[in-house]
Formats: sequence, C-alpha cells, structure tokens
Amino acid sequence: MSITFKKVEHVYSENTPFSYHALKGVDLNIKTGSMTALIGHTGSGKSTLIQHINALLLPTSGEIQIEDVMITATNKPESLKPLRKKAGLVFQFPEYQLFEETILKDIIFGPKNFGIEESEAEIIAKKVLKLVGLDESYLEKSPFDLSGGQKRRVAIAGILAMDPDILILDEPTAGLDPQGAKEMLNLFKKINRSGKTIIIVSHDMNQVLEYCDDVIVMSNGKVERHESVDEIFKETEYLSSLSIDLPTITSFILQLNKHGFKIDSSIKDVDQLVKEIGGQL
Amino acid sequence: MNGMMLGRYLPMDSFIHRLDPRLKIGSLLLLLISVFFDAGFIGYGILGIFVIVLVILSKMKLSQVVKSIKPMIFMMIFLMFFNLLFIQKGTLLLSLGFLKIYDQALIQTAYIFIRLILIIIMTTILTATTKPLDLTLGIEHLLSPFKKIGFPTHEVAMMISIALRFIPTLLEETQRIMKAQASRGVEFSEGSLKEKIMSIVSLIIPLFISAFQRAEDLANAMESRNYNPEAKRTRYKQLIWKVSDTISFVCVCAVCAGIVTLSIVL
Ligand SMILES: Nc1ncnc2c1ncn2[C@@H]1O[C@H](COP(=O)(O)OP(=O)(O)O)[C@@H](O)[C@H]1O
Ligand SMILES: [Mg+2]
Repeated sequence: MSITFKKVEHVYSENTPFSYHALKGVDLNIKTGSMTALIGHTGSGKSTLIQHINALLLPTSGEIQIEDVMITATNKPESLKPLRKKAGLVFQFPEYQLFEETILKDIIFGPKNFGIEESEAEIIAKKVLKLVGLDESYLEKSPFDLSGGQKRRVAIAGILAMDPDILILDEPTAGLDPQGAKEMLNLFKKINRSGKTIIIVSHDMNQVLEYCDDVIVMSNGKVERHESVDEIFKETEYLSSLSIDLPTITSFILQLNKHGFKIDSSIKDVDQLVKEIGGQL
Repeated sequence: MNGMMLGRYLPMDSFIHRLDPRLKIGSLLLLLISVFFDAGFIGYGILGIFVIVLVILSKMKLSQVVKSIKPMIFMMIFLMFFNLLFIQKGTLLLSLGFLKIYDQALIQTAYIFIRLILIIIMTTILTATTKPLDLTLGIEHLLSPFKKIGFPTHEVAMMISIALRFIPTLLEETQRIMKAQASRGVEFSEGSLKEKIMSIVSLIIPLFISAFQRAEDLANAMESRNYNPEAKRTRYKQLIWKVSDTISFVCVCAVCAGIVTLSIVL
C-alpha cells in the first residue's frame, strides 16, 4: 500500500500552441507513513506532480496507483472523489481558498462535502483548530479578520478536518516568519508520527534535513533522485549542479572536514556536532 | 483556461498579424456593422467566404476556430430555441400541442445563428492576431480625435490595457481556486442546485478578494512610481501605416459596401 507512479507523462494544453510537457516519464514509489520532501527549481514540475496524487490532474499517459485506486488518462471524474478525501492537498498560499463567514463554517466545508454530519464535523473542527495552534475563541470569527499566518493555519485546518491518509503540502511555509514556519513543520511531523504519509514541497534544505525521511529531486519535469535524506546530501556535486544549497549544518561539517576533522556528515543536530568536535580537538 | 481561445493572442507570423492594429480594429467595426444588414443568404455567403479567407490568411487552425465558438454554444442554443418558438410569422410548418414552428421563425433563427458565428470568428481573428498592447495602442490612436472634446483617451486606453492584461491572470486564479476547492470535495459540474450555488460561492468570494487585492497592489505600484495619467508621454512603439494596410482597407470597404448595396437592392 503506497503511492506509485508508473511512466507518468503530463502535457498541459495538449495540441495547442501553448502545450507544455511538464512531467516526463515519472516513476516513483512513496512509502506509506513516510515524510518525503519534494525539491527542485521553480518550474521543474513539483506542483504538477503532486496534483496527480489527488487526481486534480490526470496523467496524459502512464498510471498512478494510490493504495487501491488506479488513476489513468481515461478515469471518470466521479470515480475520483474518494481520492480527494484520501489525499488532502494544501495548495501554495492556501489562505486564498477561505470564503465562509466564520472559521468554523470554513473548516467544516470540506468534511461536509464528503458527507460527514454537521454536528460531527463541528467536533472535528474544534480538534483540528487546536492542532494548528488556534483556540476555540476563533471558531466564530471571520477568517478575513486574521493575519496572513493565521489564515494559513485555518486553511490547513480545513484540509486536516477531512482526515486524509496522505497530506500533501505545496510550499506550506513560504512567506511565514521563521517561528511560524517551525511551528508548522512540527505540526506536520506530529501528524506524520500519527501514521499519515506526508509529502512536502520545500525550498529550505534545513527544514528538509531536520524533518523529512526521504527526498525527491525534480528537474525539468523528471524525477532525478529519490533517496533518504542522509544519502541525498552526500551528493554535493549533483546538488550544486542544480544550485541547491546544502543544509547549513552539513556544509559546516564539510568545511571542518576540509581542515582535518573527520566528522560524519549525516549529523543533523547541533548538540551532537558540538560533542563530536569536542572529541576530536 | 486550458482550452480557452476566446480573446487569446496566438503568437505567430502571418499576413494578418502584420497588419496595422488601427486597420484591424476599424475593419472589425465595419464588418460587425455589415453583419447586421439583411442581405439575405447571398450576403451571408459573401461574408462567410470573406471570413474564411481571413482565417486562412491569419494561419489559425480549424480546431482553434471551433474552440473559440465552443464557450458560446450554450448561449446560442438558448437564443435559437426562444427565437424558434416565439416568432409566429409565415406558414405553419410543425405543430406539437402548444409548440408551433413557422417557416419565418426557422429563417430568422438561421440568420441569428450565422450572425453570431460570424461575429465570434471575426472578433477572434482580431484578438488572436493582435498583441493586447498593440490593440490598446490602436484604440488610443483611433480615439485620439475625441481628445479635443476632452475625452480621456489615454486613461481609457490604459484601463483597457490593464483589463486585457489581467484576463489571463484572473483565469489562472480561477483555475487555482477551483482546484483548491475541488481538493475540499467541491464538484463544480455536479450536485443539486444548493450544492451548485455553494460551489460557485466558494469560487467567487476568493476570486473577488484576490482581484481587489491585485488592483490595490497595482495601483500602489503605479503611484509609487509616480504615474500621472495626464502627463505627456512619448512611445517606444510607433504604428506605421503600410501599403498593405491601405489595400486591405479597400478590400474590407468593398465587401461591406457590397453587403449594404445588396441589402438595399433586395
Ligand atoms: N495550467 C498550466 N498550463 C500550462 N503550463 C503550465 C500550467 N501549470 C504549470 N505549467 C508549466 O509547467 C511547468 C511546471 O510547473 P509547476 O509544476 O508549477 O512547477 P513547480 O511547482 O516545480 O514550480 C512550468 O514551466 C509551468 O509554466
Ligand atoms: Mg509550484
């Protein structure tokens, strides 16, 4: 049971002068319960790829298997609604999807669309609002009175309320302050520990190193690497060829090693690094 | 926006693409007027052939022409349906209970159908072969005589060009929001009336909010760069009237004059 892509191609606006080949022969297998980072340049096809997982986009050819559901070019849209619940997708800048008068109504909008009773949905709404770090006094407020960061929390709560097995986040921390970003990632890690699969598009390698298990690297519509975090940051030359920076701590260790230290470059934790340096002095 | 053809510029190089935007706008106006002269099926035949020639000259594909008509189909069927039922002139052709169809109704409906198709294709040829910026430049030039009576030509042209500039952005935004709401279980094409209204509300409100936000951002950006609509400005891009423009204009005038004459004679 996992997410599998087989030879997936996606062409936008096929057969028009605007056609664009955005995914080229993508093969992937994302394990259930993992927290995977999706990295790559702007325009490399990350957003296109993740929209296939909840069938917002259908592949031009190839197939995608999400647990027991198969998605191909010929799927009928009605057959895919259950997938929208199974795989919750949080778009970039999700605060733009809020529309209800109150936060409560906005959060229960998703669950209600999937046939959950209003009373039950309200219980869920209270739970997820707390999860994203807002207290119950917010329930009756208008989402448009909130700050940008709070709006985003509400929007994410709206997806969490659908209780998806797979949570996909497209650059969820873009534009947040460092503290807010950290809280957000801790939340995703917590959700991941409760057994959900998480896929997160990120440009911040420090976040990737600290929070994720696996990394998928995309370039030019192709998946070029899919490895564990430890493995990927050993490929310094490959990453610099894509001008992807190493995490701060990893590049610090590499600098130390150039000057005679022998430190394992997969260390993620500052305390551990300090101990290691101390031992070698 | 994926299949959207209406109003979209097709970046190509053709005889029509190279014509002066002033000529293209003026010709469209003349042709649109002549569409409404009742020159019978002969007149529409002439206009039809002329439009086909224009499509070929502009190097548009048949599929693109069809796509430009598609979004209007629903409205066309609606219009035709009512025409067919409510015009009660001429001889009765068919009678099913309260449904009565007359031969005049049939002819009028056919006219309306042909007129709409011609109008859509003509307009599409203009927008597909003229860059939005050239289009506004052309409009500004054509309006410039009215400057003397205090008409704000530059402001109007600026407004049109901003509106044109934001059509693709808003379409993209619409698609983005539709996808975001679809991720929350909204089905835009299905459901009861109540669900349909709800799904439209979930699209319209975020769309308006972001449109106002964009408008405000743009206004601020223009003001912080000291934009002054009354300032005198020169242009990097100059419109140059060529011999081919004159020849084309004569052709268009000939066709339009032909249609008008035909409608008077008939
Ligand atoms: N709706 C669309 N129509 C046409 N091209 C698109 C569309 N959406 C994205 N693209 C193109 O596909 C490519 C990949 O886009 P995207 O998946 O958004 O990349 P990323 O998320 O990695 O920045 C880009 O070059 C983009 O211009
Ligand atoms: Mg993206």
